[in-house]
Order: sequence, then C-alpha cells, then structure tokens
Amino acid sequence: MKHPIRKLLSVSLAAVTALSMSVTAFADEPYNSYTYDNWDDAIPSQSAYRVEKTVTGAEMKLSKLRDPAGGCYVSDKAPLTLNDARDLSIDKAANEMWVADTKNNRILRLDLATLEVTGCYSGVSGSSVEGFAAPQGVFVTTSPSLGQQVVYVADTDNSRVVKATVSSSTQLSCVHEYTKPEEALYTAQTFNPKKVCVDVAENVYTVVSSVNSGSVQFSREGKFTGFYGANRVQVTAAVIAQRLWRMIASDEQLEGMTRNVPIEYANFDIDKDGFIFTVTEVDTDTDAVKKLNPAGYNIWNNAKGNEYKFGDLTGSQYDPLTKKSHVTRLTDLDISDTGLINVMDYETGRVFQYDKECNLICIFGAKTSTSDQRGTIANPNAVESHGERVYILDGSKNDITVFIETQFGKHIHQAFALYDEGRYTDAKEDWDQVVRRDGNYIQAYVGLGKAALNEERYSEALDYFKTAYDQEDYDKAYKYARDAFLKDHFTLIIIVIVVIIVFFIVKKMLNKRGIRILGFLKKKKQMVSVGSAAGISVNTFTQYKKDAEAEQEDQAEDEEEEEGK
Amino acid sequence: MYEFTPMGWLKHCVFHPVEGFEDLRWKKQGSMKIALVIVFLLFVNMVADRQLTGFQFNTAYVKVFNVVPLLVQSVVYFFTWVIANWALCTLFDGEGTLKKICIYSAYALVPYIVCSFISIFISNFIVEDERIWMTAIYYLGLIWSVVLMIQAMKAAHQYSFTKTIVSMIFTIVAMLLILFLAILLLSLFQQVYVFGYSIYTEIAYRIRG
Repeated sequence: MKHPIRKLLSVSLAAVTALSMSVTAFADEPYNSYTYDNWDDAIPSQSAYRVEKTVTGAEMKLSKLRDPAGGCYVSDKAPLTLNDARDLSIDKAANEMWVADTKNNRILRLDLATLEVTGCYSGVSGSSVEGFAAPQGVFVTTSPSLGQQVVYVADTDNSRVVKATVSSSTQLSCVHEYTKPEEALYTAQTFNPKKVCVDVAENVYTVVSSVNSGSVQFSREGKFTGFYGANRVQVTAAVIAQRLWRMIASDEQLEGMTRNVPIEYANFDIDKDGFIFTVTEVDTDTDAVKKLNPAGYNIWNNAKGNEYKFGDLTGSQYDPLTKKSHVTRLTDLDISDTGLINVMDYETGRVFQYDKECNLICIFGAKTSTSDQRGTIANPNAVESHGERVYILDGSKNDITVFIETQFGKHIHQAFALYDEGRYTDAKEDWDQVVRRDGNYIQAYVGLGKAALNEERYSEALDYFKTAYDQEDYDKAYKYARDAFLKDHFTLIIIVIVVIIVFFIVKKMLNKRGIRILGFLKKKKQMVSVGSAAGISVNTFTQYKKDAEAEQEDQAEDEEEEEGK
Repeated sequence: MYEFTPMGWLKHCVFHPVEGFEDLRWKKQGSMKIALVIVFLLFVNMVADRQLTGFQFNTAYVKVFNVVPLLVQSVVYFFTWVIANWALCTLFDGEGTLKKICIYSAYALVPYIVCSFISIFISNFIVEDERIWMTAIYYLGLIWSVVLMIQAMKAAHQYSFTKTIVSMIFTIVAMLLILFLAILLLSLFQQVYVFGYSIYTEIAYRIRG
C-alpha cells in the first residue's frame, strides 16, 4: 500500500469509465430510418419511433390465468404464451387492449398502460356455440345503444361474428350472433370472418375469406345488407389479353376460362369520422389502401389524377439487413386518434405512417434478421396505435412490440397536426425543430414555406418551396409574389412603358424629318453580295465601283486644288 | 430582284415560307457558317430548356445534369437528318447537295429555336394558369419550322409537294436505321476494345512472369 490515494483514484476512474460506458452504450434502433424524396428515391432520415419494450406472455403476467387468486383464473393448463395471435383492438375509453389469441382459441384483455392481462375469454355464454374456434379478429368499442363496452369477435372457424358484453374477467355474454347470410346475393359456400369492424350506427362489417366482392355488411339486428367497398381488378397485361380472348372464345371455352376477380382486402379500420380504410395485401397498385365513404366509394382514387402511394415505392427493394429483396405486402392498417394512418408491411416488418392527406410521415420497424434482435418482427399480424405509442403484434414470436415516438417524432406529429388543420404559422416552431434534426425532411420545408406564404414573406416562401421541390405550392406563391411586385412597382412600370412609347413616337417624328436615331443599326443593309451572278447585282456592283471612282476623282481634285494653293 | 446580306437572306427565308427557299436556291445563297451557328443554338436551346425553364414548369431530373443526351438530341439528330436526307434523295432524283441540305434545314429550324427561347424566357414570369401562352408560342414555332422544313426540302431537291412529304417520312426511317447501326457499331467496337485490352493484360502478366 504505497500509494493508496493513487490506487483509489485509478479504481474510481475505472468505475467512472465503466459507468459512463454503460451510459453511452445506447441501443441503436434495429432498423435504418429512411424516407422518400420527390423523385421516389429513398433517403436516410431520423428515427421517429424507437422500440420501447417487447411484451411476451410472461410480461403480460399470463401466469395469472393459472392462479386461482389472480383474479382471472381459467385453468391450471391455460397456455402461458400467445399462439399466432392475429388481431389487436384498443378501447380508448376503457384504456384496454384486446388481443385475438387465435391458436389458443381465446381473447385476452390487457391493461393498456402496463399490458398486463386483466381478462381471458375462451368463449361466450348465451350463444349457439360456447367456445371460440380460432378467432382471428376482435373489435372493441362502446355501444351507443347499450351504453356500455361491447366486444365483437370474428370467430373464424365457428363461422360467426359474436357481439358480446363483458360480464366478468372470464365471462362474455352474447348480445347477438352474425352468421352466414342465407340470401341469394351471398354466393360463397363458406362464411369464415377474419376481421371485424363496426361503425357508429352499429353496422357490422366483416372481412370474410374467399369473398372478393368486399366486406360483408350486417345491420345491428343481424340482417345481411350487402357487400361494401369491393376492390377493382388490377389491369395487367394478362387481364387485357384475357379480355381479348373472351371476345372470340366460344361458350364452351368461356366456361373453361378462369375469371379475373379482384383481390379481397386483408384488413380495415374505421376512423372517428366514420370512414372505413381498407388495405389489400397482395402487391397491387390499384387499391393498396382505400379510404371509403359510407357509400363504399373510394375517396383516394388514383384514377382521378391524384397519386396516392403506399408502402415502399421501388416495388421490390433490397434490404441489406435481411439480405433479400422485398415485395411490399401491406397487411394491416390503423388510424390513430389524431387521424394518422399506420400501414403495416408484412414482408419487411415496416410501418409506414401517413398523415390525413397521404403525405408520408415516417417509416420504422424491421423484419427479424438472422440475429434475432429485440424490436424486430417476424410475422407482423396487426398494428394499433394509441397516443404516442404504436403496438405491433407478432404472430411468430408471440409478443407485442411497443414503439414510442422519439423527440423527432413528437415534433413531426405536432407539426403535421397543426399543418393539417391549416395552422401553418403555429406549426413553424415544430418544423424548425424537425429541420434541425433532419435537414432532408421535405415536408418540413413545405410547412415552413406555407407559413411564410401566410405571413406574406413571398421570397422566403419561394425559397422553401424550391428546397422542397414543391412545384404546385411554388406556383401559388409565385402568383402572389408577382401580384405583390406589380403592386409595389406599379408607378415605375407605368413610367417605363410611357417612356418607351414616347421614345418611339419621337423617333418616328424625327424620321419623317430625315433625322435618324439608332440609324447605324441599319446601315449595313446596303451591302451588296459581290459574287452574285444575277445581272442586277452586277449593275449595283458597277454602280458601287463608279461611286468609288467618283470619290477617288473628287479626292484627286481636292489634292490638285491643295497643290495649286 | 432581292439583294440581301447573309442574315437578310435568313430573314427572307423565315418570313417567306412559300418562295423564300426557292429564291435562296435561285440566287445560290445561304451561309454554312450561319447554319452551323443555328445548329449550335439548337443545342444551347436544349440546355436552356432544361436549366432555365421556370421552376414551376421544369420537370427535369435535377440531381444529375448530363450534357451528352442533349447533344445527341440536337446536334447528332440534325446531322443524321442531313445525311439521311442526302443519302435518300440522291437516289430519288433530288437535286440537293449535302451542303445545301444542311444549310436549308438549319434555316428552317430558326422559328422553332426562337420561339422556344421566348417560351423559356416567359416561363419565368408566368404561373401554371397561364401556361397556355408558353405552349402556344412553342407550338407556333414548331409548326412554323415544320412548314419551313417542307418548303426547304422541296426547294433543295426540286420535288413536288407529295414527293417531299414522302421523302421526309423515309428520311426519318433512314435516321432510325443510321442511329441503330451507329449504336451497333459502337457496342461492337467496345467489345473489340475489351478483347484487345484483355489480350494486353494477358501478355503483360505473362511477361512479368
């Protein structure tokens, strides 16, 4: 112990280093954030979301289901993990999340804050069949007619949709059952509802597998009211070729031909204004994501000259993380409380977030690679959002990944919320923050430009729109800027015009009197092409020569005169 | 009759679509220098169209600026036109020489170049709603040039109207052929080069041991 102080110092230094290292060893996101620029090129961006936690059966405290004192005892053999869960639903009023735990034939109720289990339902009392069979869809809402929480379960293998109220933490009681419509219009042999969704009037919409004419719609009383919002057939070369063959084929041949039918959509969600959003899984440009009004008409119709794009824009994209090319396969979508649209891509595990006007906000999430990193997703089955969090249900890893927005994400969302309300000036501060964190964020420049335009700072607005390469808004701003310029310089412009007119009038008057202004400009016109073979030019040539001789003679005479003097 | 400076002759041809080129031919006028300047201006016009069109009308991909395609679209196309037309019309009793065709074609392009310069200029001062002015001026120049081109070819070869049109259509076909062969030749030579280069590296390695 020669140098106890030194030793102490070195130890403490080591400790400090170790501590600071553990502090700075910040877990990076398992994905690369990117966004698309105006030319549909992917450009790097900041992360708008980071992985907060992953929640498996253990974290949900599913062991409570085996504990008689736990409050929601089911049985001693209740599975302790999720098994290929297919759907999520969030009840914002009750602060609950409901999970359709498909392969375990049950529906779970979780507390939204902690994601711990508060209820488990393997069946519904008072209905034709007691137990659930592979329920793939769940939807929770507050019923306006009953005035309490109701749960809609797409009980797939039992061919029904059940509407039930919660009576205890393990008991659901049936309100109504929606079964296979016995009507001529419904032509499918089976009725296997996969997803379910309910509007304010308590009409029930359900996506049924192998029904491609839209979702099946029921009234509250359970009457089949038709199909809603069918997709269109995507026009491909094969479809056109078949259309041509059909024109010349005989009846027998026609029978043998396959029909071109639209692709059924994979999932849907309803926003608070009652618009139903659908998403179609198979790579399709025609109806990837639709916003349907109550009549079933797609508001986001690309055929009307707009261009709504969803998912990865390059079609098939190489991902360095998984070392393979992906084809976008949009599987689920969610409308957040503030109207943002989260679209889940099954193929890449990415969530594409859009604002109300379909502007891309951010892209986050990643598929599980060989190194099974926390926060990556193997089989993303459902996406839901609440407040600043986005939940992704993984059907293969049997967990829920919770994403929480970063500071950057917070600024974007605030800015977009204000921007979409038209409060451009209020959004300025947030856009500034966004630009400070990511100078490539195009929408920020559009936002700042619109703010500048609102405040009548035109040249600044033009600059912003140019940076964002937003030609449409630039055009608008330019119109105002030009009007303002003309207004400001009106007198000067008039004076200049008057001066020019006066100049020409004066010139004309002077011309009449034989005085030429700017005459030197026209002098050269008199030149003659010497090499011309035409006689007239020879004449002028000789004329010119004569003139020259005459001049020489004159000069000679002058000289003689001078000599004479 | 007419006596003009070379520039005066150009003006005469442009503003007298019906007999301008006939006069030009009759008087054995037309300057190669001016023709080459016009072709160069055509190229400048291409560049200006891409770079100087008003922001709200400019659809060019601004991340990359490559002058080669513009050069090909102006100068190379023009000379291919001249050569193709000469090659074709020599076979079909055309009286035009290569030089004549070059000069006359260049003169015929003047309205197009001038009008697109004007439309590029005004595109900086108008908004989307007034695009019609830009388009109108551009097409005015284009149609005027097409009319002049027909007259120019008619005068150069002393063809009837129908024969001129037919010869011009076939000229375009011939142009495509020439360009196709040129590309073919280019890729062939590239392969020859690669072949030569690989022989060179092979020998170089052997010599080094």
